[in-house]
Amino acid sequence: MSKELSVVLTLLSPFIGGLVYGFERIVRARMQNRQGPPILQPFYDFFKLMDKRSIMIHSFHAFMGIMYLIGTWFSLYVLLSGGDILIAIFFHVLSLAFLVIGGFSVRSPYSVVGAMRELIHMLAYEPVFVLAAVGLYLVTGTFQVSELLKTDTVPILTLPLVFIAFLLSLPAVLKKSPFDIAEAHQEIIGGPEIEYSGKFYEAVYTAKWIEYVYAFFFVFLFAGGNYFLGAVLVVLSFFIVNLIDNATARVNFRQMVSFHWYILIPLVVVNLMLLALWRA
Amino acid sequence: MNLKKYRKKSPWILHYNTGSCNGCDVEILACLAPKYDLERFGVLNRGNPKQSDILLVTGPVTKRARERLIRLYMEMPEPKVVVAVGACACTGGVFRGMYNVENGVDKFIPVDVYVPGCAARPENIIDGVVRALEILEEKKKDLQLTRKCVGDIEYVLGKQLNRRKIVAEGIRRCYEDRRD
Ligand code: SF4
Repeated sequence: MSKELSVVLTLLSPFIGGLVYGFERIVRARMQNRQGPPILQPFYDFFKLMDKRSIMIHSFHAFMGIMYLIGTWFSLYVLLSGGDILIAIFFHVLSLAFLVIGGFSVRSPYSVVGAMRELIHMLAYEPVFVLAAVGLYLVTGTFQVSELLKTDTVPILTLPLVFIAFLLSLPAVLKKSPFDIAEAHQEIIGGPEIEYSGKFYEAVYTAKWIEYVYAFFFVFLFAGGNYFLGAVLVVLSFFIVNLIDNATARVNFRQMVSFHWYILIPLVVVNLMLLALWRA
Repeated sequence: MNLKKYRKKSPWILHYNTGSCNGCDVEILACLAPKYDLERFGVLNRGNPKQSDILLVTGPVTKRARERLIRLYMEMPEPKVVVAVGACACTGGVFRGMYNVENGVDKFIPVDVYVPGCAARPENIIDGVVRALEILEEKKKDLQLTRKCVGDIEYVLGKQLNRRKIVAEGIRRCYEDRRD
């Protein structure tokens, strides 16, 4: 991708993410036999939040919310500008760390519990992300997104188990059930984001849209240079994630971590080992 | 850009039960469930005062609940509206005059819309919410105070108003005239 296109795409990513989120709310409503909100609903929410009177807990807490947005946005920029996958992953971890620090910095117990759970989330899915990046490296010989998008090999053909593991860890990244323990609207009411309001919540809300783009761009990478297949994979994984979200209940954090560590990571490792054996 | 029109399009709800019999709460949940599906108007049940615009209160305000009611009301950022759902929340309903209740929400916080009925019907609740949205569109963004704090709070706390102090003062004031 050229430099200008990547900058434009990064600047547009909140709009894309907002549309994806609006579409997801409709899909979820239709799956529950409801009509659902209009597709522009996230933007209505956005403008309404802009209009609210702002309440700050303390300035550091608000600052961490904004840094979460900037960190996520920057990690997406690293991906879109053809940078290193691992650097994008680490910036994403950093942005979540801002959210966690913000969550710990207030006295609300829900916020603190949510921040701890957010850490457990990272513990669960980040290894799968990093190992998926390693898998892409083994197949295509590069960590650079710009190179990855030019290769003729289609990574998903040699990494089917890695793709499945990645797909099953997407609910944890996007905080969807069964792995929405950090957000858990019915028990801890949003976790680390509970104390944000008005404009500062808007930052957190937008960061979540950007996370959608970030996560689904990873799915896109599994198709290598075959953009059509990539688009199909993204749409397919979007519907699968929503189907899982609607059909399952929340698990507890032990089940989540053990699912990731005992099932998904071995799945990835088996795939990588078979790949190595097949090549030798 | 006029942002006021977006208030109507994405009202987020905080639902608080001040000791009702749960009849009205079930009806509120019925509004959000597939049959009436309030989400098609952008209504979300956030359960978080800091991110909501409409406070749906049910119940006659028991003595235990009044502190939380004041706290939740003050934690909501302006503009905000209050909808009292059910006969209890409007006047005390079947609990009126009992030793443990305060006979209605409007003794503590200003109420914008009253939805009658013991259990209020979902259609009525939706009507009430729609009416509340019209009021919400006109509301100013000034600090809104609870009933017992209106008037002299600036005199007591000084010009530098701080939400935490207002909440503490409001809660102190509801114990001032205690009979128990
Ligand atoms: S108004 Fe009637 S149904 Fe509603 S909470 Fe009060 S007693 Fe229950």
